[in-house]
Amino acid sequence: MSSLYFHIPFCERKCIYCDFYSIETLSPIEEFLSALKIEIALQEQFHGEKFETIFFGGGTPSLLSPPQLENIFNLIYKHFSISRNAEITVECNPETVDKEKLTAYRSLGVNRLSFGVQSFFEDDLQFLSRIHNSQKAKEAIRLAHKADFENVNLDLIFALPNQTQERWKQNLEQAIELEPAHISAYSLIVEQNTPLNRLVSTNQVTMLSNETDATMYEMTMEFLEKKGFEHYEVSNYGKKNFHCQHNKNYWNHTNYLSFGPSAHSFWQNGISKRWWNIANLSTYTQKLFDNQLPIAGEETLSAEQLFEETIMLGLRSEGFDLEKVKSNFGIDFLTQHYELIPELLSNDFIFFEKNILRLTRKGFLLCEEIVQRLLSKVTA
Amino acid sequence: MKHIRNFCIIAHIDHGKSTLADRLLVTTGTLTEREMKFQQVLDDMELEQERGITIKLHAIKMEYGARDGKRYTLNLIDTPGHVDFTYEVSRSIAACEGAVLVVDASQGVEAQTISNLYLAIDSGLEIIPVINKIDLPHAMVDTVKQQIIDLLGCKEEEIILASAKANIGITELLEAIVSRVPPPSGIIDAPPRALIFDSLFDVYRGAIAYIKMVDGSLTEGEKVFFHYSGNSYEVEEIGVLEMQRFRTKSISAGEVGYLIAGVRELHEIKVGDTVMSSANAASEPLPGYKVVKPMVFAGVFPTNSEQFEELRNSLAKLHMNDASLFYEPETSTALGFGFRCGFLGLLHMEIIQERLDREYKQEIITTVPTVEFRVTKTNKEIVMVDNPALMPPVGEIEFIEEPYVQAQIITPTEYIGNIMRLCMERRGIFKNTTYIDPTRADLRFELPLAEIIFDFYDKLKSSTRGYASLDYEFLEYRESDLVKLDILLNAESVDALSTIVHREKSYEYGKKLCEKLRKLIPRQMFEIAIQAAIGGKIIARNTISPMRKNVIAKCYGGDISRKRKLLEKQKEGKKRMKQVGSVEIPQEAFLAVLSMED
Repeated sequence: MSSLYFHIPFCERKCIYCDFYSIETLSPIEEFLSALKIEIALQEQFHGEKFETIFFGGGTPSLLSPPQLENIFNLIYKHFSISRNAEITVECNPETVDKEKLTAYRSLGVNRLSFGVQSFFEDDLQFLSRIHNSQKAKEAIRLAHKADFENVNLDLIFALPNQTQERWKQNLEQAIELEPAHISAYSLIVEQNTPLNRLVSTNQVTMLSNETDATMYEMTMEFLEKKGFEHYEVSNYGKKNFHCQHNKNYWNHTNYLSFGPSAHSFWQNGISKRWWNIANLSTYTQKLFDNQLPIAGEETLSAEQLFEETIMLGLRSEGFDLEKVKSNFGIDFLTQHYELIPELLSNDFIFFEKNILRLTRKGFLLCEEIVQRLLSKVTA
Repeated sequence: MKHIRNFCIIAHIDHGKSTLADRLLVTTGTLTEREMKFQQVLDDMELEQERGITIKLHAIKMEYGARDGKRYTLNLIDTPGHVDFTYEVSRSIAACEGAVLVVDASQGVEAQTISNLYLAIDSGLEIIPVINKIDLPHAMVDTVKQQIIDLLGCKEEEIILASAKANIGITELLEAIVSRVPPPSGIIDAPPRALIFDSLFDVYRGAIAYIKMVDGSLTEGEKVFFHYSGNSYEVEEIGVLEMQRFRTKSISAGEVGYLIAGVRELHEIKVGDTVMSSANAASEPLPGYKVVKPMVFAGVFPTNSEQFEELRNSLAKLHMNDASLFYEPETSTALGFGFRCGFLGLLHMEIIQERLDREYKQEIITTVPTVEFRVTKTNKEIVMVDNPALMPPVGEIEFIEEPYVQAQIITPTEYIGNIMRLCMERRGIFKNTTYIDPTRADLRFELPLAEIIFDFYDKLKSSTRGYASLDYEFLEYRESDLVKLDILLNAESVDALSTIVHREKSYEYGKKLCEKLRKLIPRQMFEIAIQAAIGGKIIARNTISPMRKNVIAKCYGGDISRKRKLLEKQKEGKKRMKQVGSVEIPQEAFLAVLSMED
């Protein structure tokens, strides 16, 4: 199980909360695609590897025209081996798609679309500086279904300033009506170096209280699980067999190879390496035109770091395997926590599924706290 | 001996003591102008310069050719300027025949100056008043003159107007020292007696005594003994104190100098002790010796339990240079392995804390300071308790006694009411009022020391706008109705938060402490019950409701490193927390109980 990721660093307009790398000019797309071609060629050591998922993220990958996307696919198929039933996702801004584009994407082999919907209220969308309106979002999802996309995701954001419980509930209900196979519900996080951060730090915008945020999160978990979605990660909910395989690979320490500015890769081959590209399009392009990989940094994970990530990522998703932790890291997790585990169990924060230790709904609410508590006492 | 003058300088912080001292050194040629610019000689510790408090005593010898055509030896003996060191100040003063009183022309006489001045007057020192900084635009020379006249009953023309910075009045001062301060009055051919007024630890030479030769003389090779400590030594080196130690092989009556006699540890040299000759012992020691004992105790723990050994080494080094610091290992269920330390007073404790932090880079938690209680048990056994956690169970206690001090507060009269109220609240007994001048009074109280070490200073400062001074001296042990108050977190007692309080105040204190802890302990996964208890009876309670949401519900993409780095940081934060049962207690909680105001 390995994954490919392509970072398409272009947006018509940046959203005020987003700290992923992208630029607001579209003119360098062709140049970027030429650079990407070199990048793929330079990663020779991975040529011939087999991949099961491909993900186009950004940025706004749906800004790519079908011929541009086809171009990338040709490169992919030329250098890598892609399994027949691979999950192939393109992130879409509803404003940037129409029937033709979606049909063309589908015929290129794309089988999963992820729409950044965020909210169905116009004032929310304007506040977030989204370029689409709610009508357009609904239309895009219907079009996707018509273009034979069975696996469609909606991104939603809760805990928006001034958002009421009621409004959030209406967002969830409207989302359900569109019958997506998957919903990602994030809470609004103030990241450094974003316009939102400036608004909050200058008191022009007040974030919701932790209490309200918590209630919304609880409600989301309850509501979506009732509607038949499986809560398989902190913010991710999917119908049975429609979990996002690509993201799950990130959380399982599966190998992933990534392309494009700011993209992160991870590869285990005796040692566990993670590296990341330069988060600047022109430097990225320049490097590649000079036939150099645009790598900004890399790290080799120690056993301890791998262990910590295993616990952290496991608890954020479908739990971690106590037996594997013991065989891989030599850590007897339960005896190390003979005081805390019973307390977490009796307070309904965790549960066991055979050898898997997982968070309950109540546990998800305090995920970071539980991870920190569990890891601050373990000695590897 | 006729040409020796021994004097000290009494001044409030910032009134220019150091600058004046340096100016005297330059004028007498002891120090060059250039050297002076590099350092203020008397305050050579970083901490002292910042706080303006002279922690360690020093002495320095100057040669001065006076207008009468004769050369004089002037010994300037420095004095520490804080309440915790009153005894040390008194011994320095006892080594002098005169004192220069320095008053800032724009500030006037400050309360703290007065108590030291009283010590000097009581010791019969000749006082030379100096108004400093007369060149400043805000100088109120006439007002300050009047204050000094009221205070000393001196004549106006006896006051010297000076500016150490602008080099005004320095020669006049030197002349006044020569003409007004009497020479030392010892007997040159009597059996030798030297007053130890300070000591210093030198890595190469061991403990060194700073002495004033009162009678007779001492010579290298002579056998000597310290009267109170009883130990005998052979004089290895003797000399006077210039910019460095200057070996003279012998010193005689009236002179100030140092004595190296193979003394291995600092605590063998007790300030106030008398050095005598073994072969020719004097019949009486010099008066005024007192045993200095730690009065304030607190637990000192490393924030990271792995640093216990490092902390032990640091305390050992500090103790080597400061014999008044006491320490022994202590174990706390909440804080792990640490030390119970004894200090002369609260400021001494602060200084040690700061030195551990700055010079030794030790991160520590200090528990609530306490005094030493004398507990008489039902079986008549008497135990001294300097750690609340070690207080015997209530059933075994017949009665508890606590140290009382005699406190002197000098204050502008307008604050007398505030001070009375404060001392009343602190179980003080008002003994006497003296009016120093029309605007200032000297109030005497008997107070339990335990009440003083608990944010009394801050309270006194805030209720007198910083104008009052406090000095205190141990008086005696007195029986009090004291109880041990425990703090429980989810029913588990936190030993490091136990305190001994007066029964009448226990309810109020317990309530406040619970409230304070409620604010300091962050919300956690579980509800936390905070309780204050006396002997198993709950007297106050508070609850911290559990945290609601602590999860970052965002999309990280493939950037797992970022998330892990964040976790690593948070984990470090967690490690700094102390744990009792399942409750995590931040370090600040142990510190902040020191002050009950919010």
